[in-house]
Amino acid sequence: MRAAAVLSHVSAESAMSRPDYEQNALHHSCLLVLLRGVGPSRALVLQRAFEKVRRVNNIKVTDSSGVMRTIHFRFIHEHPVDHNDWGDFQTHRRLLGLITIGKFDNQTELNELCRQHESLKVRYGSTLYESRAIFFGPDAENNSLDIANHKDGVDNAQPLLQAMSEQGANTEAKIKVPEQQKQQITARLQDEFTTPSNFKSQAFFYREQDAYADLETRVGDFLHALFWVLESRRLERSREKPDRVSLLLAPFEKRDFVGLDMESRNNRKRCVGRVMKNLADLSLQAGLLDEALSLYHNANETLRSVGDSLWVGASEEGLCACSAVLLYPQLRTSPLRNTPEKWRASDATKKVNTPDVVGNTNGANALTSNSSSCSSVSSLVTSNSSASGTPTNSTSSSSTSTISVAHFGGHQRNGELPANILKPEEIPNFYRRAIINYSKYRNAATIETEAALKATRICIEQNRPLDVAMFLQNILYINLNMSEPDRVKRFEIITELYQQIGYQRKAAFFQRLAAQKHVQQGSQAPDWKQSYSLMLGSFTGYLLSLDPLEVLENAAGWPSLQIDLVQSLISAARRLGHSALATRHMTFLLQTQWNNMSATEQSEMAVQLQNLSAQCEGSPVPLVLDNGTVIPPANLTDLPYCLELVVKDMPAQLRPLRIKIAKADSGPFLFTPIHFNSVDRRDKKKDRNKIAFLWVQNDLCEVSVRLRNPLPFELAVTDMRLLSNGVVFESLPQTVVLQPHVPTHVSLHGTPMECGQLDLQGYSTHTLGVKSNCRLKHMHGRRLPPNYLVNVIPALPRIAIKTSLPQTATFSSMKKADIVVTSASLTLYNGESSSCTITITNESSSLPLEYVEVNINSNVEQKQQQKIFRIDDQALQAQLPVPPLGSIEFELLIYADADFVCPMPGGLLPQNSADYGASSPSHYSNISSSGHASLPLHVSSPHHRRHEQQNANSRSTISGAQQSLAALSLQPVGAGGSAGAGSQHIEAQLRLKYSGGEALTAGYCRQCAVSFNLELLPSAQITSWDVLPAEIASQFYLVLDISNLTAQEMSLNYTDNKNILIEAKESCRVPIPVDRCSLEQVCAARAAEIAENLERELCFRTQLLSFSDALSKLCSTHIAECVKINWMLTGTDIKGVASLRGIVLSHAMVDLTTVSPLQWSISFKDTLVQPHSEMICSVGQSTMLSITLTNQSLQPLKNLVLTIKFYQDYLNGMENYNLETRVAISGPCRVTIPIMEKHEQKQHNCSVIFFTPGRFKASIECATRPQQNNNSSISHSCPGGTNLGQLEVLAPQSVSMNAASAASFDEQQAHIWKFIPPIEVTVVEQ
Amino acid sequence: MAFCIAVIGKDNAPLYLATSDLERELDLQYHVHAALDVVEEKCLIGKGAPESKELYLGLLYSTENHKIYGFVTNSRVKFIVVIDSSNIALRENEVRAIFRNLHMLYTDAVCNPFYIPGEQLTSKKFDKAIQKLMTGNA
Repeated sequence: MRAAAVLSHVSAESAMSRPDYEQNALHHSCLLVLLRGVGPSRALVLQRAFEKVRRVNNIKVTDSSGVMRTIHFRFIHEHPVDHNDWGDFQTHRRLLGLITIGKFDNQTELNELCRQHESLKVRYGSTLYESRAIFFGPDAENNSLDIANHKDGVDNAQPLLQAMSEQGANTEAKIKVPEQQKQQITARLQDEFTTPSNFKSQAFFYREQDAYADLETRVGDFLHALFWVLESRRLERSREKPDRVSLLLAPFEKRDFVGLDMESRNNRKRCVGRVMKNLADLSLQAGLLDEALSLYHNANETLRSVGDSLWVGASEEGLCACSAVLLYPQLRTSPLRNTPEKWRASDATKKVNTPDVVGNTNGANALTSNSSSCSSVSSLVTSNSSASGTPTNSTSSSSTSTISVAHFGGHQRNGELPANILKPEEIPNFYRRAIINYSKYRNAATIETEAALKATRICIEQNRPLDVAMFLQNILYINLNMSEPDRVKRFEIITELYQQIGYQRKAAFFQRLAAQKHVQQGSQAPDWKQSYSLMLGSFTGYLLSLDPLEVLENAAGWPSLQIDLVQSLISAARRLGHSALATRHMTFLLQTQWNNMSATEQSEMAVQLQNLSAQCEGSPVPLVLDNGTVIPPANLTDLPYCLELVVKDMPAQLRPLRIKIAKADSGPFLFTPIHFNSVDRRDKKKDRNKIAFLWVQNDLCEVSVRLRNPLPFELAVTDMRLLSNGVVFESLPQTVVLQPHVPTHVSLHGTPMECGQLDLQGYSTHTLGVKSNCRLKHMHGRRLPPNYLVNVIPALPRIAIKTSLPQTATFSSMKKADIVVTSASLTLYNGESSSCTITITNESSSLPLEYVEVNINSNVEQKQQQKIFRIDDQALQAQLPVPPLGSIEFELLIYADADFVCPMPGGLLPQNSADYGASSPSHYSNISSSGHASLPLHVSSPHHRRHEQQNANSRSTISGAQQSLAALSLQPVGAGGSAGAGSQHIEAQLRLKYSGGEALTAGYCRQCAVSFNLELLPSAQITSWDVLPAEIASQFYLVLDISNLTAQEMSLNYTDNKNILIEAKESCRVPIPVDRCSLEQVCAARAAEIAENLERELCFRTQLLSFSDALSKLCSTHIAECVKINWMLTGTDIKGVASLRGIVLSHAMVDLTTVSPLQWSISFKDTLVQPHSEMICSVGQSTMLSITLTNQSLQPLKNLVLTIKFYQDYLNGMENYNLETRVAISGPCRVTIPIMEKHEQKQHNCSVIFFTPGRFKASIECATRPQQNNNSSISHSCPGGTNLGQLEVLAPQSVSMNAASAASFDEQQAHIWKFIPPIEVTVVEQ
Repeated sequence: MAFCIAVIGKDNAPLYLATSDLERELDLQYHVHAALDVVEEKCLIGKGAPESKELYLGLLYSTENHKIYGFVTNSRVKFIVVIDSSNIALRENEVRAIFRNLHMLYTDAVCNPFYIPGEQLTSKKFDKAIQKLMTGNA
């Protein structure tokens, strides 16, 4: 079977030099025309001309038998001359026509164009039937109208046409007529320029701006001419006598048949078969498909019988071509574009990783089209065989196949396919056989390659990917002696075909091979550019995309291959000298393949990137290649690795606050447990990126980022900035050097320039020489939201605050210490006043300060605080607004308020009052001092306690040393230590809320604070006090022990005109006359108290205020109001006022403080006793003592006991009441008065006899005693919480008794009213 | 005997790859990767009739140096074996045997309760067995 044995010695040059990779089966039926641009300039106008010419790729010819034939032409740009040599083997390889297109501006250029045209003609002269030249001349400006027709073109065309006219005389006229017209039209340009004499082709002249509308018709005419020549050749061939034909040879066969007997039967058959095959080729070209088919069949049989493998293959291929022309005419109109689009569309870049889906859809699509076209064909075939004439409609109605029957030519006009056509599924088999036949000849390698490509294209059209793969794989085996560029071209074409069937991986494989071939070692001119673009093209096959984000998203493919590919791409880019691209790809590699690399690789790559970027810095902008490919930016998002990003609030003193506005009344329900829509809760989760606080326009804001450097060396990150969207944001660059593997905090700052919503997207870095935009949304694997939204409010003014006081060394420990901007400290003695000037400067350069609100917070009680600090708010408000950079001042008054009175144990009095009501006033101090140690102290604040302890200390000293108040003197306890311990620290914050400008209208303000540190030093202190009756009944003496706790001499002014000097740490006693508390006040207090008690009882409060409490309070405030003690430290101008606020009075004291309800009127010896008057009587003489009592109060007094007692005062603290032997009273000395109504008077008379002379004193007092039944009523009205049942029973009773009990509250207390001063009687001897 | 044995997951991500020659590993990877297209095509064809599904896919393609054979499990895990082209002595039956052994080894490896399907195979035992299989001593 193998004829190759004979042919093996054939030299290589007779093989075709280069395969035509673009060929497909349908090109067998085309006439080959070389379309070539000549001359130097290739203006756009030529491109348009090219397109116009190309568009005329088929003509319709009605032949002599009246059959319409469609003749197809193939325009090519280049054609190796040696391909013509294969013209006998396959006629479509012959170049039949030549069209040159050129542009000239002057005569010399035109001459050059003509020369080139002629040289081309000579080159392809052996096969050329006809040629045309199309010339574009310069724009005409002044056209001369004289006509001098240039006849050369016509003359030249004449001989060729004559040859043709032998066959078709009718055509000559057809051709000539248009030529005449042409000349008319082109006459103008031809006037100006003349073609050289040796130019013997027909030329068409156009001006550049011409529409050259007739170009297409002219080209059509030219093609007609070609056809008729071909047709003549075909007829010539068909009329040859079978026994006289010469042997047709493929170029390499020429020497094989030398000396062989050509007349042998075998060779005769061979000759006939080959001619038949040749005729079939011509018929196919001439549009006679039926004839061609049967001729191919015959030739195939004939040749096979003589074992002429090469030509058998050719005839088989011819059969396939002919069938393909009939079956797949759509291949012609859009060579391989129908199907590929289909593949490409679905198979594009990303979806390869879901092969099932893609495969399915593709398969389905393709299969339907395929099967339908198959079925339509087969149905046609069958219908043809059954000789029915109607199936035309069915064919045209099959929408998927684009077979348009009209093109088929004469016989197929009714849509019937010839019976001997190859079935679609047979075509690949025939091709396979043809290829096997070709493969026997080394010199037919090009033919074989081309056949394989044609077969591939048919298989693609038939959607048989496995066959495609098979044919393509086969191409690789063909041992073709070809140049490197051709080899590369082969890979590229294979790539393209694989892509068309969706074998992306295979395509990528070959694309990469092609890329490598381009720059193979030893290659003379490595084409890095090509290599680069091919490698880029193979990205999809490896599931890489140019966009790093897409790659990261997909995270598919073979990492090792991807890394390798990108690395070779990088080196290609580097060799290309395009360092920007190299940097970009390196960045891409680091970004996308970070996780697929080992630690050493990572650091190696990082170093490489650093080296690359040294040549060209990387930046996050898309790069556009020459071919228009856009390389999207790559960012080193995770280098350094961001662990955390925290949006920081503004510093506390600059933080914007809402100005509180009185809330609109939202009804009585402030809180509802019902969530009306669950959307609320979801919103909370969703808005994790929403920042709760606000930023302020034009103010510096901060974002803190925690970064980790994953590389083993120091990483310098420069120019870090925040990336934002939304409002204009000015970001400040930050530079940081990160140590390996150590998380580092970095603060990024920026200033929003507008108000609105700021969208923080991430940050930009500049590291390893690459600028990157690291967006949060691209940081995977961390719990970071895609962005942060911060609301920016309008600009707020800023203020600076100064005080006139010195600053403190330490800041306060109070709450909200973070808003403190400045501090002030002040030391004051208790009772001293001072002031502090606070200066507010508006620091903002454009905003006025329009709103200031001041309040003070401190660690003391609100009440005391109000006493200590005072601000004239109105004066402050009057100064507003403050212009930009202006300042205002206001004054803060500070008064060192303190307790000057040593606190008396308040709890003692009500409990023990009964006891000391009964006892004499002289016992008072004794009781109080002795009871003190065991008293519960009222505990408030630590300093207070300290204060008290000190007091207790001093008091106990007092009580220990002195029994009587008269001898009281204060011992300086612990000298200086006690003074220090006694000082009180007050911390306060003067909080300023301020605002201005737009932010004020928007309702925002800022808050800042001045921290005050007050140290209150003890000055004067009242250590103990008592109340003494004064000379006048309307007054009493308040006797105070005042100690000077300062270290300086103190001058004390205690009444209007009395001053006393107290040495440091000394104390002294001063009496101060005070007006008694009037009865009206007492009554008012009582009424208030009754009302309050009533209310309490109604509310079932367990504790009732006792009247005495209210009264004692009343008296205390009375004293505090009346008595002001001014002190001054001598030698300085430090002065202050000590108040007696908080003085606690015992029950007995209260009686003295208030105006007595009883008015005394006592007469002795019938003379009214005046205070301090001397009364004299003699021994043994009876003397009348008359006492008149008047009830001045508003209530009746009950159970009064009037007692008269005489005693002798030894003036040494001893009083002798045992005077039974010295004085006698006739009449009762105790008188009980059960009730004394309002304004009622009672008189008691008795007579006194003194037995011995001397000085006697009489104590006359009136005491009340609470009654038993009253007590019980009290217990009723104060029911304990436990016996509620009893309460219910008793309640009506207690209420009914209420009035009575209220009225008799006064009697519940034991009172003693004395007549003061005691009566002094001097008894003399008679 | 075999140049390279590869196990490829159903999403076409490599699960395991062993080569006899480390220098050429990348090249072989490229070849194996390129073979996947044909594997997919063949799987697609086999899909129509699941009962008659043949796990052994046969020769995928061959180059000057290699013959590449494919095998797909029912869970769509692909095995690819690259065999020296020059080794004519190797019969198709032997290739089938290699795949059968490989399938068994893979099943054993995947039965490891600590193996998460879809992850790379890192079992030492599997590795050892594969190396043995490649040298033809299995």
